[in-house]
Amino acid sequence: MRDILRLSITLALVGILSASLLTYIHGVTAPIIAERQEAEYRQALELFFPDFDSFESEQQDGDYFDLIYDSSGNLIGIMSTIQQQGYDGYITYNLAVDGEGVILGLLIISHSETPGIGDIITTDSFKEQFIGKSYEDPITAGEDVDIVSGATVSTSAMISSVRRVAGVIAEKYLGQEKDIIDIAAIPDGIYQGSAPGLAGPLTVVVEVAGGVIVSIEVLEHSETPTYFIESYPLIPERIIAEQQLDVDTETGATLSAESIVDAVRAALSGALEEEGGGE
Amino acid sequence: MKASNPYLQDLTKGIVKENPVFVALLGMCPVLGVTAFIINGLGMGLAATAVLIASNLVVSLLRNYIPPQVRIPCFIVIIATFVTIIEMVLKAFQPVLYEALGVFVPLIVVNCVILGRAEAFASKKPVLRSLLDGIGMGIGFTLALVILSTVREVIGHGTILGPDPESTIHLFGTNFEPMALFAQPPGAFIALGLLLAIVNLIFKRFNIK
Repeated sequence: MRDILRLSITLALVGILSASLLTYIHGVTAPIIAERQEAEYRQALELFFPDFDSFESEQQDGDYFDLIYDSSGNLIGIMSTIQQQGYDGYITYNLAVDGEGVILGLLIISHSETPGIGDIITTDSFKEQFIGKSYEDPITAGEDVDIVSGATVSTSAMISSVRRVAGVIAEKYLGQEKDIIDIAAIPDGIYQGSAPGLAGPLTVVVEVAGGVIVSIEVLEHSETPTYFIESYPLIPERIIAEQQLDVDTETGATLSAESIVDAVRAALSGALEEEGGGE
Repeated sequence: MKASNPYLQDLTKGIVKENPVFVALLGMCPVLGVTAFIINGLGMGLAATAVLIASNLVVSLLRNYIPPQVRIPCFIVIIATFVTIIEMVLKAFQPVLYEALGVFVPLIVVNCVILGRAEAFASKKPVLRSLLDGIGMGIGFTLALVILSTVREVIGHGTILGPDPESTIHLFGTNFEPMALFAQPPGAFIALGLLLAIVNLIFKRFNIK
């Protein structure tokens, strides 16, 4: 009995000593760490927004958006902090967009892509191809930006993610509403539409009958199959059930889900344009 | 190598004769994990050395007060305390190195070089000898990491003093296509194997036992 007491007291003493020492060191280092991280972020902000004066933080579906204001209180741009699934773990990066929706640049904060292969995403030549693009550009591999062969997964993940974030910023903060499509005005028929997907176009066939979307089939895609099943047929089912395109795309494959919605939007707006052209 | 002075022997044995990496093959996880760049190898070596010296000192100081039944948990708590201190200090003052070493900093806790020295040496020997042992073993560990990371960085990246672009020296020009395998874990195994063979060869040649 005395032995157990002695052992416990020894362990407890070692633990208490250790905890007190750590508490002290933490008290010394924590403010330095916080200050340094804030200084680093401010430096990044000043790099993209030389007129930056203050910012306001918002969170949206796991993405962070900082609205940047100049000294007279005008919105001069948005700095987003995004976590994107890469080839191996998450890529965390900042995307800076000006008040017109034009990309000012991106900054990779941390990643665990393969050294010598996937870490090409941190090179200037890869990052610079986004500068000057806006939400109105396709930002699609093979059109206006390039994936890097050998690092297809890492680079196409970044491209899709930048495209998505540029779109979200334009829509939420810069008032660039996507057109609301009046499904009831679409004549009966079968329409085809495409949108950029993860590694190539994603094409859908939409059947409209009596002003209602009856079916949505994906004709071709190059999404990752294991993720794609998280969004298909779930997303077409949601669109058909709600009869609108503003459906919840938060699935196991959010990027693929948004590509499907965009492709359906392309098909339907194509249908409306045809109709309009005939009159 | 006839060091009759036991103190000198405590200090030097860890560097070559009982090198924790090349001879004892201890602590292989950080050895293979962080040696893609010399800076990281050196940083890891120094961080582990600091923990090793501090834990050897404290374990030796407390060796008569810690009952043998609970010595391992006590050692682990002592080591973990120093590792956490190192982690916080690195994060505050060497953020780039902290990011590069990543998960391997907290993993110093289970580095068997450190627990091995606490158990085999510091828990039985007086303070000064334990301190010297910690310094020697730390130098040996750091030396092994620097040698391995030099080989890997030169072959795997074609540079030294990377990855910070300001200090990187491209040994073969920027157009050189390095053997990327050596920058990755399989390359670490291959490089380590070859180095061990060379070390064994040298030991045999000069009769170091």
